[in-house]
Amino acid sequence: MSEGAKVLLSTLMVLGAQSPQKALPIDELASKLGMGLPELQKELDRLTKAGYAVTTRQEGRVKVYLTGTGVITASSAYS
Amino acid sequence: MRVFILCWEYPPRIIGGLARHVEGLSRALASLGNEVHVITLDFPGAPYEEHEGSLYIHRVPVSVPAPSFHSWVLLFNHFFEKRAGQLAHEYGAPDVLHIHDWLTVPAGVAAKHLLRTPLVMTFHSTEASRSSNSPSTESAMVEGLEWWGSFEAARVVAVSGWMKSEVLTRLRTPGEKIEQIPNAVEPLKFEGLVDVKAARARWNVGEGQRMITAVGRLTPQKGFDDLIRAYPTIRRAVPESRLVIVGDGHMRGELESLADREHVRDGTTFAGFIDDDELVAALRSSDVVVVPSRFEPFGIVALEAMAAGVPLVVSRVGGLAEIVEDSVDGIEVEPNNPSAIAAATVRILSDRELVSRLVTKGEEKVKSYSWENVAKRTLGVYQEAVKVTKYE
Repeated sequence: MSEGAKVLLSTLMVLGAQSPQKALPIDELASKLGMGLPELQKELDRLTKAGYAVTTRQEGRVKVYLTGTGVITASSAYS
Repeated sequence: MRVFILCWEYPPRIIGGLARHVEGLSRALASLGNEVHVITLDFPGAPYEEHEGSLYIHRVPVSVPAPSFHSWVLLFNHFFEKRAGQLAHEYGAPDVLHIHDWLTVPAGVAAKHLLRTPLVMTFHSTEASRSSNSPSTESAMVEGLEWWGSFEAARVVAVSGWMKSEVLTRLRTPGEKIEQIPNAVEPLKFEGLVDVKAARARWNVGEGQRMITAVGRLTPQKGFDDLIRAYPTIRRAVPESRLVIVGDGHMRGELESLADREHVRDGTTFAGFIDDDELVAALRSSDVVVVPSRFEPFGIVALEAMAAGVPLVVSRVGGLAEIVEDSVDGIEVEPNNPSAIAAATVRILSDRELVSRLVTKGEEKVKSYSWENVAKRTLGVYQEAVKVTKYE
């Protein structure tokens, strides 16, 4: 997993994005992480492909949240 | 007794060994007539509250964002502390608070003083061994919390002799405070019918092929890279062998690339995370289980393989070396040694008599690792903690 993907995974967990209701807008996430939107999108694609995250469109915005496997993978780096 | 157990993971949130340990212990404590409340983190799809007999699971959402993992840990501890306070009000104060590893030390210590309740801490691992002694500010905080927890605890539990010596030497916890109580397995879990053919097919192991299985988080500690490096030699000796790696983690991409570079990607299945039933099916379908860890405070996979009746190759490290008796109920190899892993695995795959002997001894040994025994011994620790804790 790339460093960017690791950081993104961990950030989604500590920000509490682990359900559709708590999904975070990806533009806000990019700004929080100081990443460009295309770069963030590339890392997100990796995470969603691996089954760690889900992107969803809510209120006209693209948002993202972690799956159970994503939460476990994010946590496993510290266990 | 009324016991509050604080742990960041509980099934289905299974990060490492803590979840399985706390589940086994809390179920066994409840079946012995104790009222057990597990305070843990919420998890996608899992209910916030669960109740079975006198076992209560309270999954706590962390509704405030944190800037980093370590500050998030401190934050969720406040939520645990709040939940402990609510539960004490609702059910009555606990007789004992039990925390597991550094992750719940702040909540445990705060609840101890607020509720005037004895504290017990179990060490499953230490930061120094996890971080291989590489200093960082985060590690310093974790080690500080480990020391604080062991200092505040009336009694400390270590899951292996190796863990006990770590706590004694690194944290300087007085020996008389420490009790060594191992993990356990639930043997009934391994006794049901398993459709081996179907299970093996799920992990691309065909009829007549030999299944080599490794289970764990895909982290450097687990040494799965050494197993992949060993696999070309194994495959030359046993061409019908297939390697199945169960688990997930940050190293997955790296391990997949390594399997490519070693030209064994076609014989390797990365199964990802699987649930408990699937884990039992995977173990019982295996011809050999390899645990190539570089560091392992306990190594519950070894017990699970014994319970599943599968021969084992394990690294001679930490708790693994205490569980397995070399050439009696498993084969031990030096860590970081792909050649030794290959030789031991080939030996098992080629010698049916050896397998039969190892499996018989393993099945005998695993009977002594029951959750009921662990719960009874832990209750003894709780009683000691109550006895030595005095509030004016």
